[in-house]
Amino acid sequence: MSPLLHFCTWLYSTPFGTAIRESDYAFPIIETIHTLGITLLVGTISVIDLRLLGLTLRHVSVSKLYRQIIPWTWGGFVVMFISGVLLFISEAKDNYGNPAFRIKLILLFLVGLNPLIFHTTTFREVHTWDLAKITPVRARLAAVFSLCLWGGIIVAGRIIAYSHN
Amino acid sequence: MKKNTLAFFALVGAFALTLTIPAFAHHSFAAEFDINKPVTLKGVVTKFEWSNPHIYVFVDVKDNKGKVTNWGIESASPGQLSRRGWKHDSLKIGDNIVADGFAAKDGSKLVGARNVTFSDGRKIFAGATGDGGPGDNGTN
Repeated sequence: MSPLLHFCTWLYSTPFGTAIRESDYAFPIIETIHTLGITLLVGTISVIDLRLLGLTLRHVSVSKLYRQIIPWTWGGFVVMFISGVLLFISEAKDNYGNPAFRIKLILLFLVGLNPLIFHTTTFREVHTWDLAKITPVRARLAAVFSLCLWGGIIVAGRIIAYSHN
Repeated sequence: MKKNTLAFFALVGAFALTLTIPAFAHHSFAAEFDINKPVTLKGVVTKFEWSNPHIYVFVDVKDNKGKVTNWGIESASPGQLSRRGWKHDSLKIGDNIVADGFAAKDGSKLVGARNVTFSDGRKIFAGATGDGGPGDNGTN
């Protein structure tokens, strides 16, 4: 047994993980909160992405919109992350070999990489294109990546429940 | 701008297409199980997983020739089953049960349960509420 699977099996069988997995209400409640967290996160990040693509709020400066929206995005992220970890603990052993779960983790890694690159490059000079009619190609690219990756994460997350291994 | 809008809709279109990839259906009974393949399993419990989002019971079933096959039975969630009187210790390894259901479409040894009869004769609806399968009235 690989150390990672060993760890997942241990997590799964902890009293905490077992309690969530076997619960009448805790599991569906956490699952619902997880979905609400994603809604807030992806809903708000989409507004920024659509702005970067020049598809909405073109008269609002990118940096101003960003400052107003991003705290909500982070709020959604925290809710999604904590509830996601709880769900994972309760299902770790099954999630380990689940192809959809593995794809979701890869997509999550990529979706984290995306803003990291964007913020250390193009976004640094945002003041030069804050209200530009056409945003830089790299900004639009980052927006497309973000929309696709988050979409993929939601789909992969949903498929976890259906893909038996 | 026009180009952007076009690109955006192309993107949305492409994404929507990925959604049509055959689903593994969770909530719709008919998508995972074949409604034309009713199965009655009479066997001995080998494993009982009282887990979200679905509980599973595994049983050894002996056919006419004496060959034993292990079948999985997928039922509803712990919450739904609790309300119908199931408990996490309602089944024990070695218990004799009878399960009515429908075979998985993918040909695996898995049955979508409709009714389960315990060794004491109690018969309980075992389908997930609202999955649209036979016997589901939406309020079970």
